[in-house]
Amino acid sequence: MIVLQEIRNLLRLYAQQFKTTFASMVQYRASLFIWMISQVLEPLVYLIVWSTVSNSSGGSVGGYTAQGFAAYYLALMLVNQFTYTWIMWEYEYRVRQGQLSFALLKPVHPIHSDIADNLSSKLITLPILAVVAAGLALIFHPTAAFNWWAGLAFIPAIILAFLVRFLLEWTLALSAFWTTRVNAINQVYFILMLFLAGQIAPLSLFPHWLQIVADILPFRWMLGFPVELVLSRLSPAQALLGLAAQSTWVFISLILIRLIWRAGVRVYSAVGA
Amino acid sequence: MTEPAIHLHELCKTYRVPERESGMRAALKSLFHRRMQDINAVDGLSFDLNPGEIVGFLGPNGAGKTTTLKMLSGLLHPTGGECMVLGSVPWKRERTFLRQITLVMGQRNQLVWDIPASDSFELNRVIYRLSPADFRRTLNELTELLELGPLLKKPVRNLSLGERMKCEIAAALLHRPQVVFLDEPTIGLDVTMQRRIRTFIAEYNRRSGATVLLTSHYMADVAALCKRVIVIHHGRLLFDGDLSGLVQQFTAHKTIIVQLEDCQASLHAYGEVLNCEDGRFTLRVPKAQTAQVTERLLADLPVIDLLVEDPPIEEVIDQVFTQETA
Amino acid sequence: MNTLRLLYIFFRVSVLNETAYRVNFFVQLFQSLLELGTALAGLAVIFSYTQSLGGWHPDEMLALVGVYFLVGGIISLVIQPGMSALIDSVRDGTLDFTLTKPEDAQLLVSIQRMAIWSLLDLLMGTGVLITALVLLGQTVGVGEAAQFIGMLLAGAVIVYSFWLILASLSFWFVRVENLLQIFQSMYQAGRWPISLYPGWLRFALTFVVPVAFATSVPAEALTGRLGGPTLLGAFGLAILLFAIARLIWRLGLRHYSGASA
Repeated sequence: MIVLQEIRNLLRLYAQQFKTTFASMVQYRASLFIWMISQVLEPLVYLIVWSTVSNSSGGSVGGYTAQGFAAYYLALMLVNQFTYTWIMWEYEYRVRQGQLSFALLKPVHPIHSDIADNLSSKLITLPILAVVAAGLALIFHPTAAFNWWAGLAFIPAIILAFLVRFLLEWTLALSAFWTTRVNAINQVYFILMLFLAGQIAPLSLFPHWLQIVADILPFRWMLGFPVELVLSRLSPAQALLGLAAQSTWVFISLILIRLIWRAGVRVYSAVGA
Repeated sequence: MTEPAIHLHELCKTYRVPERESGMRAALKSLFHRRMQDINAVDGLSFDLNPGEIVGFLGPNGAGKTTTLKMLSGLLHPTGGECMVLGSVPWKRERTFLRQITLVMGQRNQLVWDIPASDSFELNRVIYRLSPADFRRTLNELTELLELGPLLKKPVRNLSLGERMKCEIAAALLHRPQVVFLDEPTIGLDVTMQRRIRTFIAEYNRRSGATVLLTSHYMADVAALCKRVIVIHHGRLLFDGDLSGLVQQFTAHKTIIVQLEDCQASLHAYGEVLNCEDGRFTLRVPKAQTAQVTERLLADLPVIDLLVEDPPIEEVIDQVFTQETA
Repeated sequence: MNTLRLLYIFFRVSVLNETAYRVNFFVQLFQSLLELGTALAGLAVIFSYTQSLGGWHPDEMLALVGVYFLVGGIISLVIQPGMSALIDSVRDGTLDFTLTKPEDAQLLVSIQRMAIWSLLDLLMGTGVLITALVLLGQTVGVGEAAQFIGMLLAGAVIVYSFWLILASLSFWFVRVENLLQIFQSMYQAGRWPISLYPGWLRFALTFVVPVAFATSVPAEALTGRLGGPTLLGAFGLAILLFAIARLIWRLGLRHYSGASA
């Protein structure tokens, strides 16, 4: 009974957060539009660059034709949008403005409203991006194989990818408790994401040793893996191993959150929230 | 007869603001048809300031003081009338004009926040093209008058509000302007600092002969510095003349202070009793009856001491403004 | 000329401002090096699969990266901070102080704030550029060098004018600070030659947000790809855009000071 009550409360919280998020998005339409430009432009640029390389190298590079790259990067654009967070900047802002005290006073763990805010805004941005992606598909003619089991496995894969990414980036956001140099930390993180999550190039294009590194680290599981999966570029065994890797990282990140959150709150209160 | 340093004639500034009622209907209607309202911030203002005068510019919030000051310093274009400062039309913003004026705004800083004030002064030196000799001479004089010595090397953000204001004033006067506009320069400062700045302004005016137009909410500023006050309300001139004249013209009452043995006696028959402490009664009587009431008090009661005073200036100004709104 | 003295004094103020925070230097150095490293690593990945990218060889791409950082450094050194400060000062009224000074207000607001540590990006970009020039060797003659300098200047004027127009919109509209972000969002596309992009994207990057003139065009000049029309067009656009920016600025000031339109 209590569990049901808890779930209902949580749902109400999420619904309320959606209204708040929606209202503030309407206010900041212009910055939203500009942000979405960069969300589209980055994968688009790589799409074009790699297509050029592929066309001038006899039609394909590393198993990707120009159309293959188009499929990859358009899928990447959408998956990225689904798993994306900006929580590191949120916490830097909150600590700087001293707003964290409010979050600490509430009886609910702040991660819930953060997740709710994140998902709520995507309810608005994802459809828009999907339309843009459809438009780009008409221009760039993506092609990909499709099979049913990969499509089905994609659903848990993308949910796990979101969880891994959100939980780990949320933990990273807590670094704001200890330093103001959040920008520098974020930059290192984004560079790792750029190379090891399959953004600058599909991971299969990297030398073998780098691919192993990418398998050990969590970045591939946040972004590249679901993309490769939905494009049917993985064998069933690889897909299953991937889902297992994602689950492991969710587990690891939950432990990390527990530890670092407690330590962070101690530091924050010691300084005088 | 010298040219006035500042000359205004029927100066007007009207703003058009959208007028809207609250509520959803009105909000939607305003998308299609916006009703505009004209607000006369300054409405036919005329006065002249002679070189070297220090004039107080008084008025309640929204009276049009800051708007007028902005028009005089060239920041705003008037909607009507004419205005000349040092022979130039301000809003043409000619270089020669800008080099001769300065504007100090009490609530805003022009000094760069993280560096010592002396470095901000350097900035002004280059902008105003001051020769190193002139600059040094003026700076030394200002440092002495404002007691800036230890403050100059500290980053501005480390200075207290009063210290910052002194540096702001110094920065504004480095180029020895002939016309100084001061918009609430002592706001937020403690009493000692206010007094110091007042002393400085008076001394600076005496030494340099600069014309000073000062707005302030603090009557002490005006009383100490300005022989002449200009009072405006709703953008219109209410009074232009001596401060004592202002009191004369606008007050209907005088205050009589009577010292008796104790507070036992009832003096309601003589006038409005404001308060009593240790036998010292404060009475308010209509101006015309002052002599009469004084006579009666002296005749009827064992008066130890008696004093006839004008009501405090704040009260007068208060009366002036409430009168006008009434 | 007093303009130069003004430039020097504002530069000096910015240096004094920043050196109050020494750690920033090292942090900025770290971040700039990371950015450069990323760009070069990206190039390495691409060129492990091909010898030429849309006709551009590795040394030529290196030159493009150099220009990208050089111009990016100029923008983040003086253009972005000044225009951002302009928008703030319109909003909080401190623009009034600038307007009572006996110098051209446009000049003052343009140089009023500098992010000194962006000099690192500028130096880095120059370093990469010089490296690229050494590698390119004889293929860069006096003609190309002259065209390069010319296009760099034209590009700087075009980018500055674009930013000024955007910032001047704050005289009429309120929440304009986000608008400045649009250039930075699209600037990343300047790391690759504009000729790679489809027509509509090329158009957007040239005439909507002038990223092409900041990076590709100077790099094309250096690598001998610049056609006469583009050269003349860039100069023409620089003059035109500067004039338009000046006009919009003056109109904005008149609006700010309530002059009748």
